Amino acid sequence: MVTTTAARTAFFPSALRIFDLSLGQMLWSRRSIFLALVAGAPVLLAGVIRFADVVEPAALPEINGARLGGPALFGLMIWGLYIRFIVPVLGMFYGTSLIADEVDDKTITYLFVRPIPRGSVIFGKYLAYVVCTALLILPSVVVVYFLVVPIGGGSVGAEFPALAADLALLALGIAAYGALFGWVGARVKRPLVIGLVFVFGWEPGVLLFPGYLKRATVAYYLQGLVPHAMPDDSAVSMLMQVFQEIPTATLSVGALAAITLGAIWLAARAVEQREYVLEQ
Amino acid sequence: MIITADHVSKWYGQVIGLNDVTLQVSPGITGLLGPNGAGKSTFMKLITGQLKPSKGTIHVLGEPIWRNPALYHRLGFCPEQDSFYERMTGLEWVAVLVRLNGVGETRANEMASRALEMVDLTSAAGKKIGAYSKGMRQRIKMAQALAHEPELLILDEPLAGMDPIARRRTIRMIKEWGRAGRSVVVSSHILHEIESMTSNILLINQGRILAEGNVHQIRDLIDEHPHTVHVKADETRALARALLVEDHVISLKFETDALVVQTARPDAFYARLTAIAASGDLGPIHEVTSPDDNLQAVFKYLVK
Repeated sequence: MVTTTAARTAFFPSALRIFDLSLGQMLWSRRSIFLALVAGAPVLLAGVIRFADVVEPAALPEINGARLGGPALFGLMIWGLYIRFIVPVLGMFYGTSLIADEVDDKTITYLFVRPIPRGSVIFGKYLAYVVCTALLILPSVVVVYFLVVPIGGGSVGAEFPALAADLALLALGIAAYGALFGWVGARVKRPLVIGLVFVFGWEPGVLLFPGYLKRATVAYYLQGLVPHAMPDDSAVSMLMQVFQEIPTATLSVGALAAITLGAIWLAARAVEQREYVLEQ
Repeated sequence: MIITADHVSKWYGQVIGLNDVTLQVSPGITGLLGPNGAGKSTFMKLITGQLKPSKGTIHVLGEPIWRNPALYHRLGFCPEQDSFYERMTGLEWVAVLVRLNGVGETRANEMASRALEMVDLTSAAGKKIGAYSKGMRQRIKMAQALAHEPELLILDEPLAGMDPIARRRTIRMIKEWGRAGRSVVVSSHILHEIESMTSNILLINQGRILAEGNVHQIRDLIDEHPHTVHVKADETRALARALLVEDHVISLKFETDALVVQTARPDAFYARLTAIAASGDLGPIHEVTSPDDNLQAVFKYLVK
């Protein structure tokens, strides 16, 4: 046990100071331009769909003769674009770089020779990532909502609880993926490779098959919280129904919270214990 | 003792960085002298708790340093690498780092301003670090290390790349710091630099401490070997003309934007160069660097 003559260093106040330092850097970084482009793409798509609806309503897709309504279209965009693509990809790019960027830039030294626990560095940076990503993604979802839901006579007011649920769901996804990839970034040397395999290989792969493996994904638990009813009358979706096993909302929230807290704890522990040898 | 190392070794895989080092560093200014790759930076990283010894123990200010963040209230570190948050101004950067010591925003700004004053960067406080010269970058690194007034200041090659005036000012500041009762451990591969700050020297080579204490004999050895200095200046030809008349200058060579001087007496050379820079008669002198082969030759001789 280490005895110290100076005051003990507190974890959370230190993390808040790192958060303060990192938020501005993240918001004005090159990575944020990428983030803004990714968050802007669904808005652009929603604008095109809305324009198409105004100009030529018949251009919108039909499923078994029934035209896709605004709320269903919005649900598809939330699941297909945000939950399955944007949130994991951003979680991967930001999460894996929480410590790696400081190590690559050799600025980590300045943080590690200050009287703060090393674990608070990654925790503060993680908080900055959550706020930065949420600030860019969630407004984009709201804009998409107002553009898409009125299509086909959908009611913006009636669907509002679903929007609130979507926003909460995406916030949980941002938190869980960021923590998971933050841990990977703190633990291994080439975290992006693992991140790409997880997001584009493991998750989509195991979700297609029945069994327990899908429980080792974040997407599985996010799926349990999606408030929208997906179109389920096509041959493929009927086949999917056979294998589909959706966790309850309570289990999903519990599992996502456990993934987030567990991963961020492991990340903090990894940073505390690891030596970062900077290339000269 | 401010630093105690007991049979400390550090390996990077198969490569040995520090080999069974046992030493005690007394309060005051101590110079760590050795050529590049000698183990200086490894030693600096170990005594600042960035690395964990593979074997042995290290105590700094009476406490173990590895995983003991509270100790950083009492020490300041100026690393060798030229890395910053380039988009921040000098004042913002120092203040942000001082805040990590648990200081409030207003107080942190005051402390940062005072530190910038100490390293003579007040006029550049609002300028982005990305626009700083090499010498200014060295000094802003010093500022972040001393802003919280630590008991122990650890400086890894702090004079590298500084112009003669900044070099003289920094040496004076380090000596004042020592006179004020604080301790400094400073590394360099140039004996002349270390000697201008302290006579208490640790000699390191190939991961081992070769000698410690007052090393006048080493100085004599160094003087026997020609000392090479690269001087980046606007008026290299005028500078060459002024130096050519000095009896300690052995040879002069022109490189792109730089003059390469070989001198038999580094003391006399640096004194003359500082006088030239201070007069400003021969235009600005931007950067003075010295390769480590000066010292390497002496160490080769020593370990024979």
